[in-house]
Amino acid sequence: MSNSAIQSGQPSLSNEEREYEMRALISSIWTGGRLFIGIYTFMLASLVFSYFYLRSSDTGLLWRPDHVTAPRAFGFLIFGLSLVTGLLAYVGRKRLVMGSFQDFSVAAWSGVVTGLIALLLQIIELSHLSFYPGSSGYASTFIGFAVMNIVSLVISAYWLETTVARGMRIRREVEGENPEFSSNPRARAFRADVAAMSYFQVFLTLAGALLFAMFYLM
Amino acid sequence: MTISDERSTEVSGPVSGHPHNTRKLSWTQRPGLLSQNLLTAIVFGVIGYLIGHWFGNYLASGYSYIANSGQNSIANTLALAFGVVGWLGGIGALNYPFAKLFGVDGLEEESPVDNWSKYFRYSLDHKIVGLQYVVGVLLFMFTGGLLAMAIRTELLNPTTHIFSPDVYIKIVSEHGTIMMMMATSIIVGPLGNYFVPLMIGARRMAFPRIEALSFWIFTAGYMVIFSALPYGGFPTGWTGYAPLQTQAGPGMVSYLLGFAVIGLGMILAGFNQAVTIINYRAPGMTWSRVPVFVWSILATAALLTLATPVLFAGGLFGLLDKTVQTAFYVDEHGGSSYLWQNLFWFFGHPEVYIMALPGFGIAGELLPVFCRRPLFAYKVSAAGMIGVALLSFFVWQHHLFQSGINPDMRPLFMLTTELISIPTGFIYLVGMGTLYRAKIRFELPMLFVLALFFNFLIGGVTGVFLSDVPVNVTVHGGFFVLSHFHYTIMGGLLFAFMAGLYYWLPKMTGKMMNKKIGKVHFWLMFVFFNLTFFPMFIIGLLGQPRRVFTYATNLQGLNDFSSISAFILGFSFLVFFFNLVYSMWIKPEVAPANPWESLGLEWQTATPVPSYNFERIPVIMTEPYRYSEEGAPAFADFGPKDAPDSPTHTMA
Repeated sequence: MSNSAIQSGQPSLSNEEREYEMRALISSIWTGGRLFIGIYTFMLASLVFSYFYLRSSDTGLLWRPDHVTAPRAFGFLIFGLSLVTGLLAYVGRKRLVMGSFQDFSVAAWSGVVTGLIALLLQIIELSHLSFYPGSSGYASTFIGFAVMNIVSLVISAYWLETTVARGMRIRREVEGENPEFSSNPRARAFRADVAAMSYFQVFLTLAGALLFAMFYLM
Repeated sequence: MTISDERSTEVSGPVSGHPHNTRKLSWTQRPGLLSQNLLTAIVFGVIGYLIGHWFGNYLASGYSYIANSGQNSIANTLALAFGVVGWLGGIGALNYPFAKLFGVDGLEEESPVDNWSKYFRYSLDHKIVGLQYVVGVLLFMFTGGLLAMAIRTELLNPTTHIFSPDVYIKIVSEHGTIMMMMATSIIVGPLGNYFVPLMIGARRMAFPRIEALSFWIFTAGYMVIFSALPYGGFPTGWTGYAPLQTQAGPGMVSYLLGFAVIGLGMILAGFNQAVTIINYRAPGMTWSRVPVFVWSILATAALLTLATPVLFAGGLFGLLDKTVQTAFYVDEHGGSSYLWQNLFWFFGHPEVYIMALPGFGIAGELLPVFCRRPLFAYKVSAAGMIGVALLSFFVWQHHLFQSGINPDMRPLFMLTTELISIPTGFIYLVGMGTLYRAKIRFELPMLFVLALFFNFLIGGVTGVFLSDVPVNVTVHGGFFVLSHFHYTIMGGLLFAFMAGLYYWLPKMTGKMMNKKIGKVHFWLMFVFFNLTFFPMFIIGLLGQPRRVFTYATNLQGLNDFSSISAFILGFSFLVFFFNLVYSMWIKPEVAPANPWESLGLEWQTATPVPSYNFERIPVIMTEPYRYSEEGAPAFADFGPKDAPDSPTHTMA
């Protein structure tokens, strides 16, 4: 039993047991990533349901008087930057799989920057609205959308940043070994995390496209 | 499947099978005054509350409609939200997310001291989290129970009043909300967290930090909901319907934010449980060998993760209505009060099964142990649970039979609601099939399981009536409905929780609960539960509405009978608490290693359970519940014994 095992008070495991738990850890990250998408889908679906419920109810003909729309320029910019963030995460992961951590790192940091700019624009947009939050059904659901989009952009930037920061740390830890192909447990878990993160970013981009169309184009 | 005996020389790190590693502790986690614990959580929570309140006042200071209203929901919301963040920061829940920004991936957050203080810290050990949940839900239950006593006291007399109508409805609302929030976690939290990893042969939870976070969010949510009382309460009942929600005072903010906060905790708890069950099952534990309690937790976790986000979003929209003056639920401004009903009940009806399924899981787990025979139609039971979980997403509109629903849609939702009684019936019949001609051991946990089946039969059958539109129209909003859901939730879930506690406390604490006092508790609880709630069916059919502090004088006799029974029912919980204190501290009796002679994996490891659960990862050899079967192989193979605290390998 190693010193560290003695310190932590736990018995040692066989190699086969360790590998079993390693696989459980990696598949947990895989499952967790997909389940998180499921959770987020239901939350966004609540907004979509509210939008169409109020739109079809059109209570007191106040769904969207005078066909007010949120500032389209902001909308295009925010969605465009979110799209770029999602694409960067996707491409970064592809490059990582091909063995280039540096490309992944550049893509991910760029994604963090575009995501944060989108977040800033989303906050600024709220102070440039041509309607009051409670002036109509559309106005209310738009505020709900803006708040949810802020949450989405924060999660997106956080996950990208923490993943790339972790990757850089692991790269230092497995010095002399290519972390993209390393069998080091942390490197394997890192790659699973990158895959989960990139799926979530792609999901956010697709969901963002739907919501963008609902609030700015329809 | 076999596991070789190649011993490793290096086990530390994130894949050692245990979340704890051997990294150097940061200053916040070392023993001493500066370490993070409950006390620092309280201090940080109060500071966060004050900062949030100041910030909310600052933000809203320029708005005349707020200055003139004498009520600032922005300040209230931010105060409570910052209080929650402070609470989580104070306990240490935010250390790791913050450290992750710098690439850290395994910061040690475990209490370095192995004494009683670990129960007041942010622990990554699922057993400690389970015990923390036990205390948490009991505190919830005690608070909600006291409010129930206040309600029944008021209803002793239709003309002489203790409370004003306004105060009465606020007490009812607080009671309902606290109890419903407590009930969603009462089994998943304490017993699910403690026993699921043990029952599937895992040495850890998939995401220990998320598990710990779910508990500390749960406690924060409790305080937020409880804060409604000092804020003046809310008059909507636990369902929070608009437009009353929109018109209500600052207590409504506590309700909406409290639901959102607890909802977040529920999502995290369900997420972690689902991922753990899917990925951390021991070798050989195929889906047909998973214990039925674990099946029930998996089905519940699916509901928690998919239904609760809708409640979270609904609460967020309500808060936006209260703070930035959106109009989601305000008909006069293009919103709709029915929107809340839809969002609320899309979560609210699956919530009923979030509460019911773990109860059935406990019953299914305990029946074979005390009947000494395999669980009848095990696969049907698992299928029934998944069926209930799936169908529960398609029934919510039956709560809107009386309000915002197209009348032509009523038959569809009547049908889906009646359909759900089929998988529920499967689960019930599995219980009956196991009991049929069994030589039952009438131990305390078994008594509670039998009571559950008795109570749930009444609750379930009245539920079938209620799904029919004509009956629903007749008894809607009355005591009949109230009695129905108390029979299903309290009669089902709470009895199952008690069965689970009496059954598993010896494993959790190493001490047996006193049987004599336990039987007094059981009979008082069972008899007076029925004497409290059965008359309410009659009271409801005679026309008494819910949430009203007065009633027709000819119903006083039945109401008094119900109230006095309720007081004795409340007393039965004091007997339980006394038994807990008596058996754990005053006159503790050491529990045998396997007091019920169970084949369950959780009983095959040492007591107290070591932090790593199993010295070796068990290999599952056969189906569960092969009681009284000659020649049946042991449920699991634990490998060679080579440690002093190695588990017993002999399996009955």
